Amino acid sequence: MRVRRVMRRGTGRLRVGGERVRRGRGSSVRRAAYAATGVVLLAGCASMPDNGGLRGVESTPRQDAQVRVFAMPPREDATPTQIVQGFLEALTSDDPEYRTARQYLTREASKTWQPELSTTVLANGPGAHADRPDREDTGAMSYTLTGTRVATVDAEQAYAPDSGPYSKIVHLAKDEKNGQWRIDAVPQGVVMGRSDFQRNYMSVNKYYFASNNAETKGTDLPMAVADPVYVRRKVDPTTRMVRSLIDGPTTWLDPVVRSSFPTGTALRKGAGPLTPDDRGRLTVPLNDSAAEVGTGRCEEMAAQLLFTLRGVSPAVEEVELRADGGQLCLLTQDGAETVATRGALNQPDYLYFVDEERRLVRIAAGTSDTAAEPVPGALGEGEKALRSVAVARDERTAAGVALDGKALFVSSLVTGSSLGDPVLSSAGKSEQDRLTTPSWDSQGGLWVADRNPAKPGLYLLEKGAGEPLEVRTPGLDGRVRAVRVAADGVRIALVVEQGDRLSLQVGRIERSGPADGADERPAVTVLELREATPELEQVTAMSWAGDSRLVVVGREQGGVEQMKYVDIDGSTPDVPLPAALTGVKAVTASEDETAPLVAYSVDGIVRLPSGAQWQKVTAGTAPVYPG
Amino acid sequence: MSGDSAASAPGRSGGRPGRPVGRKATGSNWGRLFEGGLLEGGVQGSPVIRLFMRWVRRPLLPVMRLWRRNIQLKVVATTLLMSLGVVLLLGFVVIGQVRNGLLDAKVRASQSQATGGFAVAKQQAEQDVSVTGDEDIAPEGHPSQSVIQWMSDLVASLSSGGQGAFDVVTLPAGGESGSGRGPRASGEVNPTVSVPAELRERIDSSTSPAQSYTRVVYNDDKESQPALVIGKQVNDPNGDPYQLYYLFPLTQEEKSLSLVKGTLATAGLFVVVLLGAIAWLVVRQVVTPVRMAAGIAERLSAGRLQERMKVTGEDDIARLGEAFNKMAQNLQLKISQLEDLSRMQRRFVSDVSHELRTPLTTVRMAADVIHEAREDFDPVTARSAELLADQLDRFESLLADLLEISRFDAGAAALEAEPIDLREVVRSVVSGAEPLAERKGTQIRIVGDQQPVVAEADARRVERVLRNLVVNAVEHGEGRDVVVKLAAAGGAVAVAVRDYGVGLKPGEATRVFSRFWRADPARARTTGGTGLGLSIALEDARLHGGWLQAWGEPGGGSQFRLTLPRTADEPLRGSPIPLEPKDSRRNRGLDDAGLPRGGDGEKSATVPVGQPGSGSARDPFPLPPAAVTPTADPTALPGSGARVVARSGRASGSTRMTPGTLGEAGAPLGGGGKDAAARRPSEDAGDPARRTGDEGPGDESATRDAERDGEASRGR
Repeated sequence: MRVRRVMRRGTGRLRVGGERVRRGRGSSVRRAAYAATGVVLLAGCASMPDNGGLRGVESTPRQDAQVRVFAMPPREDATPTQIVQGFLEALTSDDPEYRTARQYLTREASKTWQPELSTTVLANGPGAHADRPDREDTGAMSYTLTGTRVATVDAEQAYAPDSGPYSKIVHLAKDEKNGQWRIDAVPQGVVMGRSDFQRNYMSVNKYYFASNNAETKGTDLPMAVADPVYVRRKVDPTTRMVRSLIDGPTTWLDPVVRSSFPTGTALRKGAGPLTPDDRGRLTVPLNDSAAEVGTGRCEEMAAQLLFTLRGVSPAVEEVELRADGGQLCLLTQDGAETVATRGALNQPDYLYFVDEERRLVRIAAGTSDTAAEPVPGALGEGEKALRSVAVARDERTAAGVALDGKALFVSSLVTGSSLGDPVLSSAGKSEQDRLTTPSWDSQGGLWVADRNPAKPGLYLLEKGAGEPLEVRTPGLDGRVRAVRVAADGVRIALVVEQGDRLSLQVGRIERSGPADGADERPAVTVLELREATPELEQVTAMSWAGDSRLVVVGREQGGVEQMKYVDIDGSTPDVPLPAALTGVKAVTASEDETAPLVAYSVDGIVRLPSGAQWQKVTAGTAPVYPG
Repeated sequence: MSGDSAASAPGRSGGRPGRPVGRKATGSNWGRLFEGGLLEGGVQGSPVIRLFMRWVRRPLLPVMRLWRRNIQLKVVATTLLMSLGVVLLLGFVVIGQVRNGLLDAKVRASQSQATGGFAVAKQQAEQDVSVTGDEDIAPEGHPSQSVIQWMSDLVASLSSGGQGAFDVVTLPAGGESGSGRGPRASGEVNPTVSVPAELRERIDSSTSPAQSYTRVVYNDDKESQPALVIGKQVNDPNGDPYQLYYLFPLTQEEKSLSLVKGTLATAGLFVVVLLGAIAWLVVRQVVTPVRMAAGIAERLSAGRLQERMKVTGEDDIARLGEAFNKMAQNLQLKISQLEDLSRMQRRFVSDVSHELRTPLTTVRMAADVIHEAREDFDPVTARSAELLADQLDRFESLLADLLEISRFDAGAAALEAEPIDLREVVRSVVSGAEPLAERKGTQIRIVGDQQPVVAEADARRVERVLRNLVVNAVEHGEGRDVVVKLAAAGGAVAVAVRDYGVGLKPGEATRVFSRFWRADPARARTTGGTGLGLSIALEDARLHGGWLQAWGEPGGGSQFRLTLPRTADEPLRGSPIPLEPKDSRRNRGLDDAGLPRGGDGEKSATVPVGQPGSGSARDPFPLPPAAVTPTADPTALPGSGARVVARSGRASGSTRMTPGTLGEAGAPLGGGGKDAAARRPSEDAGDPARRTGDEGPGDESATRDAERDGEASRGR
């Protein structure tokens, strides 16, 4: 029965098929057209596309091929030399707690040895010399580690350039029980060569808030100050940076900054490595000392963390602070900028310079146009020929030094403003011995130095007016040739002339309130000046180029003029050098790193957009960004 | 009958019934062989496994059945399998070729890269020796220059050339550690795991470079990947050896290979599916006409001779269809010719019967006159007159039967059904057969007539059937009792007539209903019944929608059972009386000779339609033990002549009984009106009257006739 039914269906189909064929023959032309279209389409698939497919390309940052050293424990019956070399090699590894290195030490030496105490950077790695090799069979030997010091990192992880020979003694003893050589006396801290240091450590800015800007209005955001430290690159830098941030600023910066973290705050005990989760949230558990802080304070803490971690783990999008089992606050990267600000967040609107008619002109920053327009106001009208200028950070006021360098004028950048009398005059005999290029801080203070050899001095004009306040500079040896204040107003970079040497020095600005009486003016002091570029002999120009970075034009001893970036702690940042440019007389950069570097060279005003070569902008002198 | 069957050799009779049993046994053996040998693979030993196999096999059975029956499935499945094999083979070959080609290129490029790197490392070491060698060798001759930073710088500079393309690893020579030449690696490679130990040993033992395949393991989350590693032993500025390795990840090659793999897999899948579809289509072209032919053939065999195949085109299939159609046409032609012939013959018989009646009546009248006057003739003539009358009777009844059967053949028989009580019919039949029974010394008993047995039936036809059966039973009952049993149950009524005579041989139970059938064809039908009685009875039963069935065993007597639906047009599903009586030999455990059997039911198969279970609860036929005892030694009798002995000395009184019955139905036989009237009350009322005179002289022949008649009656 089933067979029969199948059969019937089969015949039916056959019949239908026949009809279809007949119909198909009728439209065979259309069929052929379809087939041809299909063939063409397939042929298109079978060759490489030569047009279309427009799409953006995501640039993935190329990771450096980081070399890792894998520390190995000492071999059985290793010779004293091998022990010393193995120990030194283990110091360059990524071992988090130097466990492998400790295996080269005797038990007692391991207890007393504190690798975190300091890091000594030598030019070429430590060499080891056996002091008296003939005593090898006596069971005790000593080696001298030698080298040339380049820098040291102290216990606060602050970097400081250093120089001079390095010589430390390592003493080995033979264990009487198992006959193995081990180090029983070792210098504190670790020592390594410069390239190993650069491979293993990285510079990170910790951020604190400037505490001495008493004049800051309540509505202003607290200004974050960068405090660069060095951490080991591979050993959980996030957690270590958080700990370091909570522990407080480095000694040099400590007097002028405050931390929002209450005293005694630390990471909660037992908190493991801090890692951001999938959505980029980093949860930071704090101990009970932080449990009582208010939301505003907590957000400042979070902003400190976010500013700090930006350089360590870019994956962190938001920070959650927890204490006592509860959430204190939650802050995102964008939110951090509403809580606090820092220099790099101020984007300049214009680039200013003095044109050939000696008046102040400007070009919109970040554009490639070359047509300058005079600024509104007296300085732009060419009433007084200018030599150098400085524009306040709010870009409403500008200061200009007259062509002869004798007088400093301040004028607002609004149409119809008048120049008025000079706010400061110099009595220097030659043009080179008069006023320097002025500099504005973020509170509107105008800094300028008088190069008069008879009466050198550094002056501050609060709000760009009034009686100039002479800034005390204890420890300053020589004349100030150039002055630049950081955006935060607590650090100042000076070019100091000592004999025929022009060095770049960075100091911190401390303000003390009126000693007694309201009419007494507050004292402003620049303290603890330290050299940022010991290797440069002749610094000719410099400018802030970041929260803790300067761009410097100078000449090494016996070298040629070069332009480079330096960190204020004296280390060389891990960024490419700007393209070479000769005859640079002035340079300016914004702390916002996206703004192009601008210089005044023999070619006039030139600028360096990122990833390009120097471009000539126009003729002129004394280019400055606001500040 | 017992003698009959026994005379045909006990061995054979024992063997023949045994065959079905044996067949059944072999059948089960076959089944077991099939299950065990083909499907269970010789694990018949464990019933658990067998059970499991059965459980596994059960859902597969429909699939296997489909596989056996469907040639399209077979061809398509075979095509799929074979193309899959070809595609797999092709895939392996192609992938192997591509892999080798990719690897060759990679190895060549990697070797040149690594060789350059080794040269750079060597050069760097020599340079540094020349620059700093003097000042750093301690006066004692101990090489003390710090190579820690030098090594790290070297790895960094070597690896900076090929970010992502390769990684550089250094390992201390000889497995020594802690001497400033510890493991270094670029690109987060885990150096100790990634460089195989065999390669390290090889590098240690020789200064020439060596290569190996390995799997690069990374320290960060990067997935490990296959790589080619090339290593060489190089000296540092102090002259100490260390091992420098270049690791070339085979990521790109693996991607290319997986692209090829994916392409091949996709293409292979398409090819296999396409081939399967093509095979399906092609086979369908062939199978569809074959299936059509099979269906048409089935319908032809079912009698629909006008069915034809549809033929289109001129190909082989079309030729097959044409030939098939031609064959069907010829068949139809022949069959219709045969049908016509058969119809013509029946018509002819009917016409002949009709045409013969008129002259026969005249002859009859003349013969009656002669017969009346026979006493005046000389003995020879008188005897002739008697013979003439006898044979005329017989001729008349034969003619009547022929007319009746031709009426059935022509479909002219009409059923006039009305509710009747079968007990009345049975009683009238039995009382009619009483005289014959008395003559035979037989007693007819009626069982089951306590309650009315009512059915919608044609009383005349039922009576004719029953009379035929009862008379036959009495005739062949050999003087033993005849039991007529009535029963009604479940929409059916039944009348069974049981005798304890010679019975039926195996296979005769169905043949007794054939026309003109006789147990011994050698004997001519010169005397006795017409040979049509049981045929007519069967047609009568069929007309009612009922059954007429026979059961018998040699020597054990026979039973004829008429089953009728209680109401007309109701299909029968069963009979209230079992066909095989309870007192059959088999049921009583006796063998053919009436002796107790060994125990095995050999005779069961002789029953054509057996319902042994259903009748067990009903009243058993009370049977005198003597009834089953054979009266003659069966072995002493020749052939099937048992009845000759058994019937010896009997009167042939029943010869006209059956014809009479038929004659009654054959109303047109005008000449027989007297006989019919005489016979109506009872079969034997008229017979003895008519035969009284025959008995003396015709004793010898009558005996033979009676025997033949019985045989013939049985044959009906």
